[in-house]
Amino acid sequence: MRPLRIALAQGALLADGLAALAAAGCAVGDAGVEGRRLLVRAGDVEIVRARPSDIATYVARGAADLGIVGKDVLMESGAQVLELVDLGFGACRFVVAAPRDALARALDDYRHLGSLEVATKYPNVAERHFRARGIAVEIIKVAGSTELAPQVGLSDWIVDLVATGGTLAANDLAIVEEIAPSTARLIANPAAYHTRRSEIAPLVEKLAAWAAARTVAAR
Amino acid sequence: MNTDIGQEARAALAPPRGFRDILPTEARELRAIERTLSEVFASYGYLPLDPPLLERGDAAGLVDPARLISFLDRDGTRVALRPDLTTAVARLVAQRYANAEGALRLSYFAPVFREEPAMLGAEREYDQAGVELVGPVGPLADAEALALLAESLACAGLHDQTVEVGHVGIMRSVFAGLGEEARARVLREFRDGDHVGAMRAARRFGMSGTALATAERVLRARGTRDLDALDVPGVDELRAVLALAREMFGGDWVVPNLALLPSLPYYTGVVFEALRPDLGFPIAAGGRYDGLLAAYGTARPAVGFAINVPRLHRALFETGWRPRHPRPLVVLEPAAPLATARCAARLRGVGLVVAIGAVAETASLPVVTVAVVDDEHVRGADGRTVGVDELARTLR
Repeated sequence: MRPLRIALAQGALLADGLAALAAAGCAVGDAGVEGRRLLVRAGDVEIVRARPSDIATYVARGAADLGIVGKDVLMESGAQVLELVDLGFGACRFVVAAPRDALARALDDYRHLGSLEVATKYPNVAERHFRARGIAVEIIKVAGSTELAPQVGLSDWIVDLVATGGTLAANDLAIVEEIAPSTARLIANPAAYHTRRSEIAPLVEKLAAWAAARTVAAR
Repeated sequence: MNTDIGQEARAALAPPRGFRDILPTEARELRAIERTLSEVFASYGYLPLDPPLLERGDAAGLVDPARLISFLDRDGTRVALRPDLTTAVARLVAQRYANAEGALRLSYFAPVFREEPAMLGAEREYDQAGVELVGPVGPLADAEALALLAESLACAGLHDQTVEVGHVGIMRSVFAGLGEEARARVLREFRDGDHVGAMRAARRFGMSGTALATAERVLRARGTRDLDALDVPGVDELRAVLALAREMFGGDWVVPNLALLPSLPYYTGVVFEALRPDLGFPIAAGGRYDGLLAAYGTARPAVGFAINVPRLHRALFETGWRPRHPRPLVVLEPAAPLATARCAARLRGVGLVVAIGAVAETASLPVVTVAVVDDEHVRGADGRTVGVDELARTLR
């Protein structure tokens, strides 16, 4: 049987993910932070680095047993994985944002036109949110620079992920409402979690303790 | 002669998205699996049945309506390609066996149809093999379903899998302190796989620290020793089920695992999945669902399981499994028509599989090519002429 395989999201969460695993006793070292190899052996485990949105796919299909990925990715992908530990880092939130001072105009548009245009990289999260609120919207999927959409008339509103809100402010956008907060999660393939429990359970316990200690320290 | 129809024309011949042709090599292996499973099901007294391909689209289904492949019939009623067999069996039992006493043991091997997220390369049609035991309750009935699943997979040729067994009733009792609505909410989060969200919700609904700790302990319980260390209602019953299941089918295949909570909401008692460490998906899943038939107006308890046949096939293939003892295909190079016809008949008469003339598709069968010499003799690739009976002897 291959070693336990853990998928880590490249980018903002990678350093914290590696730190968490190191604290939990995995000899990850600087496993592949540098270098081009995307699958590296680190002590008893294998570390895979991939795009955040692919982590959920890898784990859901059993190509990796465990993964560390933001709740935002899980909400958008709907991947069938087990969410075992809230690791606490990578905090951000999904928000609806609109051009500052344009809320009244948008609502007037909505009365006349019956639907709002919403640009987002997260069409599933956006659609679920507006459907639950009973607001008719047309979702415009963009691949990046969502903040630009209202300025150039691509959309009325946007749904985006924000950490500090700095980028929104710089583009004259204000938060209309918060959809959901997000932090990094330890996720598992359900079949792997059941059949390789003796390897996974100690890791889960240590990561939960690590996350809890950090939460206390942050208070 | 150029018979290539061209790329565009060939693309137009492909079946609709998510459907595919199963060609002979694969079909032969699936038939072998079907034969074995049907025999094992029958050995436990299960009788085959064939519900229709189309069901009413508004029937109380188990599958998310968004995943139905449905359309309108000529009279305007909504119909759907059946998304699973358990619902179909529940419907037909309510309709045809409403007043039956005693146990109904029913089995099936049939395709089901579901809309899948296409990006994952999933198919919209696949075979399910399964059983439903309608009527009996208690550990003996639950154990029968477990043992039959284990024996089915073993006879099909799969080893090293475990059947992981949880119990929805135990999970419900752990959260009994919450109100009905709060508990339903927490259990739904667990079924969706969100342990973080479920525990957080339980805390928010006012569950005490000790109760939360018990819940954590129950969730972590996997294996007999963990189970024995638990003191929560329902554990004794689960233990009895597992003991009986081991008596019915020997071996070290059954593992209690209380974190197992399938995403389907209708289970009421034991729930189980057949898993392998190297396969990211369950090969089979089942459990006790005592409320489902009530939805059709006939409240009868039931337990059953469904094997995902393509996954079983894939798991078998990866272990190097091939259908047992395939008889070789004797390809007969013809001579004069009359001699060829007689020779082929003689060869088939002694139990050989014979095709006359070159074949385009051999379904990965071993092939033996021989040439007709006369009614009773053929010449092999080595140039030696042998009698029909001798050929049959060497190939058997």
